[in-house]
Amino acid sequence: MDTDRLIASLTEDADPVQRLPSPWVRTALWFAMAVPYVAVIVMMMVPRDDLAVKFTDFRYLVEQIAALCTAIGAAVAAFQSIVPGYDRRFLLLPLVPLSVWLASVGEGCVEAWLRGGAFQDFTSDFLCIPAIALVGTLPAVAMALMLRKGAPLWPHASAALGGLAAAGLGNFGLRLFHGQDASLMVLVWQVGTVFMLTVLCGWAGRLLLDWRPVVARVRRKLAAH
Amino acid sequence: MQAAQAGDMRAYERLLREITPRLRQIVRKRRQFFTAEEVEDLVQEILLSIHAVRATYDPNRPFMPWLSTIAHNRLIDSARRFYRGKSNEVQMDELPVTFADDWANIENEEYRDPEELTIAIKGLPEGQRKAIEMLKLREMSLKEAAAASGTTIGALKISIHRAVLNLRKALSKE
Repeated sequence: MDTDRLIASLTEDADPVQRLPSPWVRTALWFAMAVPYVAVIVMMMVPRDDLAVKFTDFRYLVEQIAALCTAIGAAVAAFQSIVPGYDRRFLLLPLVPLSVWLASVGEGCVEAWLRGGAFQDFTSDFLCIPAIALVGTLPAVAMALMLRKGAPLWPHASAALGGLAAAGLGNFGLRLFHGQDASLMVLVWQVGTVFMLTVLCGWAGRLLLDWRPVVARVRRKLAAH
Repeated sequence: MQAAQAGDMRAYERLLREITPRLRQIVRKRRQFFTAEEVEDLVQEILLSIHAVRATYDPNRPFMPWLSTIAHNRLIDSARRFYRGKSNEVQMDELPVTFADDWANIENEEYRDPEELTIAIKGLPEGQRKAIEMLKLREMSLKEAAAASGTTIGALKISIHRAVLNLRKALSKE
């Protein structure tokens, strides 16, 4: 097809489109969808007995707030990554809360190591993997659907950020019902699961976000006219 | 673009016609080894991409960074596909293929008269004629033909070989 004819066809097909809200607004929408689901899962799994006490534990609070901020920061970055024209440096946005989170958990590990009991309490806790995945399922699905509305500019980065947002929120929910606070356990099983899910999502990025199906949809629509 | 998002066809057409030369320039500059046709294909891909994601444009933000991000992203995407396609290609010498080879097409080109062929077959010695009838016309297997004629497979092979030579000779004379 010649380019002039293509432009004519595209303009004939130009129905009004609903503008995509800003990344911050979309993050708020995603959060508003995800939080009730996380709350339901936490209630179903029964919140931990010492939750009220834990709210006075400084390290627990820092880690929970950092996990939550990582999820929010990653969601904002993911939604920005599918809008053309933003500076790519915004992709590093979740690194700030993530480094606070890692620093807090890391400090706990060093303290335990200095006390000499870091490895004594270390056991396998595979439950964290399905638990974080369960809490993060609906946020992840919602994130995937919302990301597909944008431009697939950096599929792997967008999907990894989306995965980090969902897994971060999943870990936040997990620690409301799972009574495991030993820093090394948190680092290996919880933060490790979050990283694993982030990497998996990033790896699958091109399955979720790709120009080919996006352009093919337009071609099909033009052919149908 | 803001008007285009609201469904203003004229504004949209004007915009696409205005940006097309700019896109062509970007593609030509970045892909100097592309033919004119390849440049046009890529420009069309970018136009289709712009159309597909026009909802992502925010009127509060400048238009050109939005446009050039899509254009450059599609350029990178096309390069990735180009090199991936190249890496899957195997370079081969052009070998003479049976269908293109002149010798393989002699019979198709010269012996097109079935009546002539029937007469030539009738003129063959009996053993060769029977071999042709059973193996070529009735499409029997060598084993079946050998059983039916009471001869051996080796003798049939010799007969068919001689018959083909005789037929070729007879038909080329005529």
